[in-house]
Amino acid sequence: MIFRGERSGGRAIPWRPSNVYRGVTGFRFPVGRLPDEALLSGLATGDPELAVIFVRRFQHRVFGVAMAVTGDQQLAEDIAQQTFERAWRHAQIYDSRRGSVTTWLTTIAHNLAVDAVRARRTEPMAPEDLDPLLDAVTETPERWALADEASTQLRAALGRLPREQARALLMAGIHGMTAQQVADVEGIPLGTAKTRIRTAMARLRTALTAPEGGDHVR
Amino acid sequence: MSGDPHCEKLREAGAELALGVLPGRERAEAVAHLDGCADCREYVRQLTGIGDRLIGLLPESEPPPGFETRVARSLGEQAAGPEGAGRRASQHLRGRARRARLRLAAACAALAVAVGFAGWGIGTVVEGATASPPAAVESEPVLVGDMIPAGGGQPVGEVYAHPGSPAWMFVSVALPGTPYNGRITCLLERADGRTTRVGDFPVRDGRGNWGVAVPVDLTGYSGTRLTTADGTVLATARLQQGRVVTPET
Repeated sequence: MIFRGERSGGRAIPWRPSNVYRGVTGFRFPVGRLPDEALLSGLATGDPELAVIFVRRFQHRVFGVAMAVTGDQQLAEDIAQQTFERAWRHAQIYDSRRGSVTTWLTTIAHNLAVDAVRARRTEPMAPEDLDPLLDAVTETPERWALADEASTQLRAALGRLPREQARALLMAGIHGMTAQQVADVEGIPLGTAKTRIRTAMARLRTALTAPEGGDHVR
Repeated sequence: MSGDPHCEKLREAGAELALGVLPGRERAEAVAHLDGCADCREYVRQLTGIGDRLIGLLPESEPPPGFETRVARSLGEQAAGPEGAGRRASQHLRGRARRARLRLAAACAALAVAVGFAGWGIGTVVEGATASPPAAVESEPVLVGDMIPAGGGQPVGEVYAHPGSPAWMFVSVALPGTPYNGRITCLLERADGRTTRVGDFPVRDGRGNWGVAVPVDLTGYSGTRLTTADGTVLATARLQQGRVVTPET
């Protein structure tokens, strides 16, 4: 929160009070509570203090994406670091119309992670690892109660997908596997794998665009 | 889209294209079709958005100890590296301000830990900044203001300007009842009425926010003005100086 003018008559920008850092003088430190877009624009100027705050704010999410895709802590750390370095280099071209800073960062992390796994020419994932991931992205515990409505709808829609469609979607959408790789892992024809991916995405699209958020596509 | 065999084919491959897993030849064909089909572009745009949000559902994970410090140090080294001596010279020129800011960061980190936000500032080291908080009060100015619509009324946005080196500012605006789409111009205004153009920025349905580096000394300005392309004033803000102060410890 920022105080304006003199101490006695100052006003404050109404950022969330739970995030205010109070000092004994009564003044408060605002930089750590900058909106994501403002923080990114500051990062573009090369300010090291803002770089620290930026990394601190997003590191768990970025590292989570890298870990989910690679399953390898060392590789995930390298990818997470590359993500921040790339964000730092390209901060000036970030366009908020294309999505939030979080989405931008997680997309960078995801692309780097998928590329890294592909470069290793190893199996993108162990099939037995998929179900825990599916449970993680469809869970709706209390901690998601305050999540934005769209995320809640997406989780619910994912949870309503037939298991085989949800698995195919996660293999393609999270692990970056082609339909042929999905077919190989699941032991199904290529056409079936393509259909599962396509149908799953169509159902999510319908669920997220329906007026009541329901999923009536069968 | 309906009836066109190319569109039908795109419909079949759209999900894989949006998820980035369509093989090369099929991908090339699909992209070529998208070049000339707005409906299919919109369709794939929607699917791409779903793919992005899918990634956003992945659980967060605790990075290894020291990760934050290593990344911050790496960014600091890169900031000093690409432009070589020139950029480093620039850093020397603003060395005193930078050191003050680093001390401020350390002080705030220590303060955060002290009040219980343990995750906020443990172990942060940037460019050799000490983890020990300084004894003196550190302060730096900020400029803030409410965006007031041209006809008066309730604030419709905010301006936050950081007059450091480099200076930068962040503006958010939501003009009620103004379905304005396009680009608006942001101007900085001196007390004597002279203005400096900051840039043009996009607004959608009257809403927008942007941040930008500003290659001027912000302390010489007293206001901000948003105008349409034809110069019509949409909103103005009077910049007031605030202060960021950390306590003596």
